[in-house]
Amino acid sequence: MGPKERLKLIMDGKQADRPACICPGGMMNMVTAELMQVAGVWLPEAHSDARKMADLAKAVYDHGCFENVGVPFCMTVEAESMGAPVDMGSNVIEPRVIGYVMESVSEYEKLTVMQKPGRIPTVVEAIRMLKEELQGKVPVVGNLTGPISTAGSLMEPMIFYRELRKKNTDAHAFLQYVTDCLIEFGMAQIRAGADVIAISDPSGTGEILGPKYFEEFAVKYLNQMIEEFRAEGVGTIVHICGQMNPVYKQAAEIKSHVLSFDSMVPMQEAKANLPGRVLMGNVSTYALEFGSPEKVASLTKYCAENGSSILSPACGLGMKSPLKNVQAILEAVKWL
Amino acid sequence: MEKELLFKEISDNVVEMEEDIVEELCEKSLEMGIDPTETINKGLIDGMDRVSVLYEDGEYFLPEVLTASYALNVGIDVLKPHIKQEESSKRVKVVIGVVEGDTHDIGKNLVKIMSESGGFEVYDLGRDVPLDEFVTVAEEKECDFICMSTLMTTTMPGMRTVIEKLNEKNIRDKYKVLIGGGPVSQKFADEIGADAYTVDAAACVKKMKELKGV
Repeated sequence: MGPKERLKLIMDGKQADRPACICPGGMMNMVTAELMQVAGVWLPEAHSDARKMADLAKAVYDHGCFENVGVPFCMTVEAESMGAPVDMGSNVIEPRVIGYVMESVSEYEKLTVMQKPGRIPTVVEAIRMLKEELQGKVPVVGNLTGPISTAGSLMEPMIFYRELRKKNTDAHAFLQYVTDCLIEFGMAQIRAGADVIAISDPSGTGEILGPKYFEEFAVKYLNQMIEEFRAEGVGTIVHICGQMNPVYKQAAEIKSHVLSFDSMVPMQEAKANLPGRVLMGNVSTYALEFGSPEKVASLTKYCAENGSSILSPACGLGMKSPLKNVQAILEAVKWL
Repeated sequence: MEKELLFKEISDNVVEMEEDIVEELCEKSLEMGIDPTETINKGLIDGMDRVSVLYEDGEYFLPEVLTASYALNVGIDVLKPHIKQEESSKRVKVVIGVVEGDTHDIGKNLVKIMSESGGFEVYDLGRDVPLDEFVTVAEEKECDFICMSTLMTTTMPGMRTVIEKLNEKNIRDKYKVLIGGGPVSQKFADEIGADAYTVDAAACVKKMKELKGV
């Protein structure tokens, strides 16, 4: 069974020959220093060059790390396209937003004039290359930063969180604008050939927002995105950081094919609280960086036994993770 | 209005996150000639303490804590100019930051807010803080606590480095070191020789008060 066919079956909740093994990209970074070395393609250049981006993504598959390719390798493309200045980082430091565009949610109309393509065409072009060059055999994952994290990159998050309550109407208008932009970017990724769209929203967790705001601001806008993408026939993944205990009920309302969690969430607990959902995760990135291949293999097996049907790192990989540790997930999955 | 009743109303309105009402009530306390320090302690800080309990119990989350702390600060801004010279040297001092390589600072900000409203003097180094800076600022400001946070597994070793630096300089005993953040655990705190790990902001402030006997 090919990796694309397998992932598709699992995402649709059907039986496959064995679990899948992927790492989406975006916030869930799958590039390491050692991989760049063997691929001969380097960050930060690959953040802004479609050819290099596609080549580095391909190296992940070619070197037996994961059974997918995915771009981009950061979570700043979205905010940058809405006007935020970005420092591209280095070969070990990920790109980050270095200045805010607005001071209050009420200034959202400002964003319409700040819009620019930025690196959106780069990502879209990289997806097109990957689709063509891998002849549709390996699933291509397009990544998006979620609405709340994108919003929190455009203004000081502490003010943003406060204004969810104090300026509720404007906060919704702001998030609606951001969501519409994200949908547009996602649709461009799908048109270029993305088979799966993965959304990560580390600033929009239940642990941070609490159940009320998680439902009102995270679930609502995530579902708008998912609905549009599902209509195009692609698979959808939502990764949520942090403890899930306060918000399992609300998370069950997220309409994505797959839900993915941090390593602090026991798979068994997630499975029990989200019956019938396809779960992805959640091999500790600490073990991946500082542990041994044997340790990684046993964690992989443990995740699978407890309900994960798409094995993946629990978060973005640390840059110094040894390649043999990263490869140990897929090795272990093959024996499941 | 009775003094005690006014304090209760101020406290309630901090809990209810009503900054405008808090502002009015604090102005009223001044008109009534109430000692502003008493209004801060029995009204504003009492309210924030109740917010901490609600946060611990999972009734309040970050947006509520931020809004309540904003109301608290509005009140303090009204009262502060009327406080007679305070001996601020007696206050317990905390240096806090997110360790180098990590920019996730929500939890750290929450600890800062709750420590300040708990009466601590906080030196916030921000995020992605060079490890030496924790030691330098702690020494310079004669702090009692060094609080470090990270949300990434890959930057956790930085916490160990800070403790090693303190050991090298033979000043480890001058400070209590508290650590926190998603992947951090009590086990890790024991491994690197930190004084405590706490699970969230409210627990951190409680622990600091316990360690200082406040």
